[in-house]
Amino acid sequence: MRYPGADRNAVDGVTLDIAGGSFTVLLGPSGCGKSTLLRTVNALVKPQSGRVTIDGSDVAAADGTQLRRGIGYVIQAIGLFSHMTVGENIAVVPSLLHWDRARTAERVDELLGLTGLAPDRYRNRYPRELSGGEQQRVGVARAIAAEPRVLLMDEPFGAVDAILRADLQDEMLRIVQSLKTTVVFVTHDVDEALRLADRIVVMREGRVEQYDTPLDILTKPSTRFVAQLLGTDDTLRRLSLMRAADAAVASESTSAETIDAGASLRDALNRLLGGVTRLSVVRDGAPIGSLGLEEIRKALQ
Amino acid sequence: MPTRKESLALIAAALALPQCSGGSGRGPASAVRVGSKNFTEDITIAEIYAAALENAKIPVERHMNLGSTQIAMAALQRGDIDLYPEYTGTALIDVLHMPPMRTRPQIYGTVKQAFEKRFNLTLLTPSPMNDSQGLCVSQAVAQKYNLRTLSQCAKLAPQLRLATIAEFLTRADALPGLQQFYGGFHFSSARTYEIGLQYEALLRGDADVATAFTTDSQIGTDNLLVLQDDRHFWPEYNVAPVARMSSLKTHPQIAAVLNRVSPLLTDSVVRQLNYQVNVQHTDPADAAQQFLKEHAV
Amino acid sequence: MKHLPQIGGLTLQHLALVGAGLGIALVIAVPLGVFTARTPRYGAPVFGLAGVVYAIPSLALLAVAVKYLGLGFWPVVLVLAAYAQFILIRNIAAAIAGVPAAQIDAAKGLGLSAWQRFARVEIPLAAPALLGALRLTTVALIAIATLGGYVGAGGLGSEIFFGLQRQYVEETLAGSIPAAVLAILADAFFRTLERTALKRTGEA
Repeated sequence: MRYPGADRNAVDGVTLDIAGGSFTVLLGPSGCGKSTLLRTVNALVKPQSGRVTIDGSDVAAADGTQLRRGIGYVIQAIGLFSHMTVGENIAVVPSLLHWDRARTAERVDELLGLTGLAPDRYRNRYPRELSGGEQQRVGVARAIAAEPRVLLMDEPFGAVDAILRADLQDEMLRIVQSLKTTVVFVTHDVDEALRLADRIVVMREGRVEQYDTPLDILTKPSTRFVAQLLGTDDTLRRLSLMRAADAAVASESTSAETIDAGASLRDALNRLLGGVTRLSVVRDGAPIGSLGLEEIRKALQ
Repeated sequence: MPTRKESLALIAAALALPQCSGGSGRGPASAVRVGSKNFTEDITIAEIYAAALENAKIPVERHMNLGSTQIAMAALQRGDIDLYPEYTGTALIDVLHMPPMRTRPQIYGTVKQAFEKRFNLTLLTPSPMNDSQGLCVSQAVAQKYNLRTLSQCAKLAPQLRLATIAEFLTRADALPGLQQFYGGFHFSSARTYEIGLQYEALLRGDADVATAFTTDSQIGTDNLLVLQDDRHFWPEYNVAPVARMSSLKTHPQIAAVLNRVSPLLTDSVVRQLNYQVNVQHTDPADAAQQFLKEHAV
Repeated sequence: MKHLPQIGGLTLQHLALVGAGLGIALVIAVPLGVFTARTPRYGAPVFGLAGVVYAIPSLALLAVAVKYLGLGFWPVVLVLAAYAQFILIRNIAAAIAGVPAAQIDAAKGLGLSAWQRFARVEIPLAAPALLGALRLTTVALIAIATLGGYVGAGGLGSEIFFGLQRQYVEETLAGSIPAAVLAILADAFFRTLERTALKRTGEA
């Protein structure tokens, strides 16, 4: 995959097998080929060699226009059609697929509700009347309107501020889990990747450096580049990805201070540094063990 | 449902519509289509041709006010018109792109021969009128300096003030050419005026000599004297009907009718016609009718 | 004034000339404008050519048109269509190129075909600028269509030029006032459309 005038292929020798229903994040610095790779999935970019298949069928063999109607697409610039209302924007793909009017209208309202926008308030507004965050919610709603098998997102939250981004990420996770869609998500933001991904693809100069779960990438970086990119020695970041249950050791002694088994070790460390010497780890109210600073140190090794 | 042929005819009719409503659509097939260029002298003379033909019971269709010599010539060559009044000097220089010639028969003969050979067009009898460039003076100035000719004027120029239209100062066929051809012509002053206003400067006494087109009506009404081009610097611009040779064959009477009219068009007659049309705002067609009545054509 | 009864007919002829000229002009200019918007490296030669045509004196161009089309309606329409290219191609190209890239990318990604992108996204978004181009062109053509008076195509030019020749103010005005009114009305008409279009597309 090489762009005219480039001295190397934008994407080269990539082999990925993405599981249906998973949330995969393509992570890397700008220019690493992650967006290009994403755009091969809906055939906006056609590889000079190699194949992209969805459920076994080659996207190159499909009619690009038809193919893309079955694949959601969200971009950083959002690209809401400014001459259409919010409702008309969301209805674009259903109307291309010739859904009847009633079904489309119902779906529009359903999606507005799902993305946290009151249908009656937002349906007939124009994009310019919306905040950046609201616009991107509509962008997501538009992309998933016709229940695509695959949802491609190219730095969708890159242009919103950090607090809003966290909200949008939460909602994204919630929506995606309800849809059971396969998501491929591009970002250069390591925290965003760790937060959202089931699997992360770390890319550099058109090649895949590592393809793994967030935790494995953090704990077992396969190259120096991955380690540096993720700041693997960043203890707090690693701790935030480990659960209290993973570090707990069985013990008879119980402490008055308890922590939920699902809480992160980072939270545990906070408490321990705050003066508590030992924490009881509980699941559904029942103690399953305990941990202290020593156990956390061991978990990091 | 209309057949293919019918619908095509309908489209053709629709396309032709704007032309019909223009009042310039084709008349009877046998009509002689008389054109003119887009200035009043040519229009008036064309109206005289048209009216003369009509008086001779030849049906006429008018295509007046064609925007330029090129347009009139293109229409004539295509056969959209059958004839129009053209000036021999213009035909020689602007159509044939030949060097200026000095004498009337030389110009007329050259143009007629070239038109017949190259375009299948011909010139009928030319009129004596000559709408050329010139210099004119008031009768008082003429008397004071005993001024009659351009040769005299060339020598006297340092004592004379010129009222001129702007382009006369720069065109090769105007003052620079005169200076080269006659020598002299270095006026004591030269002030430029809008076309037509140079005559007023002359009448007010702000100038002694004014540039002129020799059939301008002011020359007649203001009793001005056009200095004689005694060494023939300017080519002659005699008007003559330029016509398609094929049209003259179809309508043999055209030549006879127009050849009777042309000799009547002298400088003073045309100045008078220009006065009626330009100053008195007589309709050119009415002026033409009037003219033919007076001359019993 | 004896010319008054003719003015209505001449005005209609004038409008017919402008309408036909504009229609044919658009058939040529829209594909060329869209083409140059998509492949900007062809912009300079295409605009250059339109500029060269525009620079030909109108009577010379009209003479060439008469040579091939004869007198009457069509040579004027041809000249109008030719001159309109200069304003139209450049402005159509600018209007299309001015459509935000993000909306085009989104349209592609959502599965709109090239034609659907053009008709449903690019044209509506470019509409205000396109209408602006149409307005400029129409006003210009209303002025240029006075050339109709020179080749027997009628229109208001017949009155204007004949009046000017004779310094006949009434006749000149009888032609130029309706022409000016037409131009003003056309301008107002397209401005209204532009405003409506702008309200719809106002930047997101």
